[in-house]
Amino acid sequence: MSEPFEPRIVAFLCNWCSYAGADNAGIARIPSPANILPIRVMCSGRVSPEMILRAFRSGADGVLVLGCHIGECHYTSGNHRTAKRIPLLRNLLGYVGIHPDRLRLDWVSSAEAPKFAQVTQEFVEAVRTLGPIAEEVGV
Amino acid sequence: MIEEIRAHVAEKLQELDGVIGLRRTAEGTAPCLFREGDDLSQLELDPRYPLASVVSLLQKRYPEARFGIAARGCDARALVEMAKREQVDPDRLYLLGVVCTAEEAEECHCTDPAPDPAPWPQAEVIGTPVEGAPPNPIVAAYEGTSLEERRMFWQGQFLKCIKCYGCRNVCPECFCEACALEDKVWVEPGVLVPPFPMFHLIRAMHMSGRCVACRQCELTCPAHIPLTVLYDLIRRDVEDLLGYVPGADITVSPPLSLTLEDAPLRMELE
Repeated sequence: MSEPFEPRIVAFLCNWCSYAGADNAGIARIPSPANILPIRVMCSGRVSPEMILRAFRSGADGVLVLGCHIGECHYTSGNHRTAKRIPLLRNLLGYVGIHPDRLRLDWVSSAEAPKFAQVTQEFVEAVRTLGPIAEEVGV
Repeated sequence: MIEEIRAHVAEKLQELDGVIGLRRTAEGTAPCLFREGDDLSQLELDPRYPLASVVSLLQKRYPEARFGIAARGCDARALVEMAKREQVDPDRLYLLGVVCTAEEAEECHCTDPAPDPAPWPQAEVIGTPVEGAPPNPIVAAYEGTSLEERRMFWQGQFLKCIKCYGCRNVCPECFCEACALEDKVWVEPGVLVPPFPMFHLIRAMHMSGRCVACRQCELTCPAHIPLTVLYDLIRRDVEDLLGYVPGADITVSPPLSLTLEDAPLRMELE
């Protein structure tokens, strides 16, 4: 009997909001899944398609990009670029046979610790049903 | 048609510093800057070649010169996107538009085979514009394919890649001095078939909002990877989601570098 599949998720978290949101979730003892590997970035706009693709190539079953709500970006409009880029990349993943739902963009402020827990839990469950990435990228 | 163009170039050379076109000699055909007095019988239109990149190169090298170009529709679109990104100075360019034939348009699945003189301060179009060819039917049929089918297809295609960088080198919109495809963080050096999904998907994402569908990447590819299928899908998404058609309007800025207020996203955000 093989081990049950546990998804590995790379989460790019904005320094100014979602990273603090994740931190606050921990402080408030709100459970969030251990499948998440957080990577702190200065802005969700910093998350280039290369970073996301490399995460998939390196064996991430899902990639989560969390940024500030629109209108609340520390750099005014960094997340506007993310908002445009991620839907395009999701479609592109689908065009070459990688399930678009392996990439998710959401907005989590530093005050939204419960939302951080909820989004990560939802995403882990969604990716769990999709199965391991290895079948889709052939690693 | 070619005679008409040669006569026109000869006339224009009296006021311009040179005209960029293709030159056919016994050794082969290559881009050339025709100067006054040059043998214009060597000026050719075939094969298709990304002359827009040559314009950029020469304009940067000679910052005062005024050049002309014998441009097809795709060259003209490429020049529009390059002008937006300050790679080409429209005020120092004379655009001599060359209309592709219906057969050429069909070969390229080109929906827009006639150069548009409108964006250019000085431009003329030679020949009668033909109707655009229907878009590549694969793009319309794509919705009906499964993820599994797509995966099998593209992994097989990308497996043929010999990483010659031909697609990038020939692309008029690829002018960055530092290229992500040469960064060893993203594309491992010394590995011949670039590991899926790196390289091709990086390039595809970088083409969003830029690709003018000139087909040069696909014509150049020694492995015959049908890159334009992927890029056509991206072009469709950029048009659907951001209302942007690269190469169409010189006054509209590329949407991916603008805010949501200046270039709204036509979908609900989560």
